[in-house]
Amino acid sequence: MISTLDIINLLLPFAYFFTFAVYAYDFLKEKKSLSNSKRIFLFVTLILHISYLLIRTVEFDHPPITNKFEIFSILAFAISFSYFILELLTDVRGTGVFILLFALIFQVISSLFIENNYVVPEVLRNRLLGLHVVSALLGYSGITISAVYGLLFLVLYKNLKSSKFGLIFNRLPSLEILEKLSFNSLLIGFVLLTIAIVIGIIWLPTAFPNFSYGDPKLIGTGIVWIIYGAGILSKFLANWYGKKVILFSLAGFLFAVISLILTTTLATTFHSFY
Amino acid sequence: MNLLCITINHNNSPIETREALHLSRNEIIEFIPLIKQVLAEGVIISTCNRTEIFGLPFNYLPNSNSIIDSLLKYKPVNDIKPEYFHKYFSCGAVKHLFKVASGIDSLIIGDSQILGQVKEAFEISEDMNFTGPIFHRLFETAIRVGKRTIKETGIGEGAVTVSYAAVQVVEKIFSGLEKKSALVIGAGETGELAAINLKNKGVGKITISNRTLDRAESLAEKIHGEIIPFQFLTEHLHNYDIIISATSSEYFIISYKDIAAAMKKRRGTPQVLMDIAIPRDIDPEVRNIDNVFYHDMDSLKVIVEQNLQKRKSEIPNVEKIIMEEMVGFFSWYNTLEVVPTIKSLRNFFDEIRSDELEKIKNKISEDDFSKIEDMTRRLIGRILHNPTVKLRELAENGNNIQQVTTNSIILKELFNLDSTNNNGKNIEEK
Repeated sequence: MISTLDIINLLLPFAYFFTFAVYAYDFLKEKKSLSNSKRIFLFVTLILHISYLLIRTVEFDHPPITNKFEIFSILAFAISFSYFILELLTDVRGTGVFILLFALIFQVISSLFIENNYVVPEVLRNRLLGLHVVSALLGYSGITISAVYGLLFLVLYKNLKSSKFGLIFNRLPSLEILEKLSFNSLLIGFVLLTIAIVIGIIWLPTAFPNFSYGDPKLIGTGIVWIIYGAGILSKFLANWYGKKVILFSLAGFLFAVISLILTTTLATTFHSFY
Repeated sequence: MNLLCITINHNNSPIETREALHLSRNEIIEFIPLIKQVLAEGVIISTCNRTEIFGLPFNYLPNSNSIIDSLLKYKPVNDIKPEYFHKYFSCGAVKHLFKVASGIDSLIIGDSQILGQVKEAFEISEDMNFTGPIFHRLFETAIRVGKRTIKETGIGEGAVTVSYAAVQVVEKIFSGLEKKSALVIGAGETGELAAINLKNKGVGKITISNRTLDRAESLAEKIHGEIIPFQFLTEHLHNYDIIISATSSEYFIISYKDIAAAMKKRRGTPQVLMDIAIPRDIDPEVRNIDNVFYHDMDSLKVIVEQNLQKRKSEIPNVEKIIMEEMVGFFSWYNTLEVVPTIKSLRNFFDEIRSDELEKIKNKISEDDFSKIEDMTRRLIGRILHNPTVKLRELAENGNNIQQVTTNSIILKELFNLDSTNNNGKNIEEK
């Protein structure tokens, strides 16, 4: 089983790279033949990835959420799976290259540094923790996708304002669609993050004796949640359009990344298991 | 093949001559009987950019000048030079027709209108009994070339006129144009084209404003739109997501302040301003306002130029389709030469069989006769199977037409197929 796992672990970055390359080629050349077939590459990669995660769960007898490289792999899967569903639902096909780049980066890092852990703390086998982590990861993939669409919105906005009609103008969908995709991903990401936070607040105090509401990771997540909440409220209450809401999404994403890096590298937190 | 094509088009003649020679539908109907004496089959395509006569002359060596003379006699044009007319024969004429149908010979490369015009021209000839099996097949193939070109290549993609480019930009800002409202300022030719393009793209509400109310009303009626009086224009600007201006005004009719005020009322909802007038109608400074997308002629022309280049790069793909269809067409055409020979050969054997069966009809029982009849039919079928298939194959390959002709002649000579009453009886008598 381990050798199968190692082989798939080795194959996954290549599968992601190949899918990313097909999407990139289609973005640059817009080949009619690739328009549908590129989805098949993504689908095969997703099947390979889900098999990998399942085999890993069975082999090590715990969900692959026990170290950051396992989490990176789940994040790569969550991002590409969310994008796959989004592409099927909206039929917007020209943006995959930008989203899949993130999935590729996460998977490459994961495949390079992942270790096989048979022994994990008992707390990591908890089902509520599984739910907490899964909703948090899906939430983070939602805000990542939202940030990518937000960035694409800003680039196309700038191109249109300055009458630049190049590759970006030709390949991207309309500003209105980009805004909608960004906002909807943000909304889904926000709801999932909220679920993760609520589960965390209910369950964490009982699971960890050294739990503290002043924990840097909790404060960081709280601030990210407030930024996104303010962006969503501004859209619903003040009827803000496009750029302003998207700036909230980008600011939230940037803060989330910085806070994640700082809390995992510098701060001491009970929220660290490895 | 003695197919002939005489063309006067945008590549070889000035617009005045083309306009003067343009034939309307009724004129084509009047003109066809005049050339029916020279041509067995024919089709006349006439648009603002070309007048083309395709025909199969009765004589193997066609006199194209007599057709040109008939045309000029029917539609006299001053100062016409012989070099304005281009002529194509046989394979060249087929290729030219396919190029026309595919849109790569059009003034605006990839223009899909021409396919409809080719279809219409063929239908006129068909209605006037001026087409036969060859022209049926030829134009059926030409129309297929046009359809394949649209489906399989990008020759017709992208806007190639300024007003259409304006709509293309609008589509990059908004989705679901049916929920959007547009204001077209100016009811001249450009304004009308822009309004029609918006209508065709499904914009929900279109309003026209023009200095002359009559013209605004007339255009609004045409596109089922509304009108607003020109003097109240600025008061209504905030109501529209898209504003296209194409007036002949010498000064700005929409200022920075007007748009700033409109955007305040719209609470930042995006507004697209397309200034396709020369001189410009809208103060270009408005592009600095957030969520205002302002484009003028210069920027839209960039799109047009890019799309034209892209279309040009698709020409080799179209030519590939043309070659494929030409091979198919000529494969079919070459079989026409052998079909009469095969038919005569089958008739020859069938007549021998009938004669011989007739001789024994009264000498055997009905049941036996029926068995012998079936057996002889199968026998002749098997004897003729190989020669028929071989002859067809040779013709369809089209590699050696000379050999096809030689084989046909040998068959005719051997079985005396050309002479009348050439059946078995004749042979027996001889």
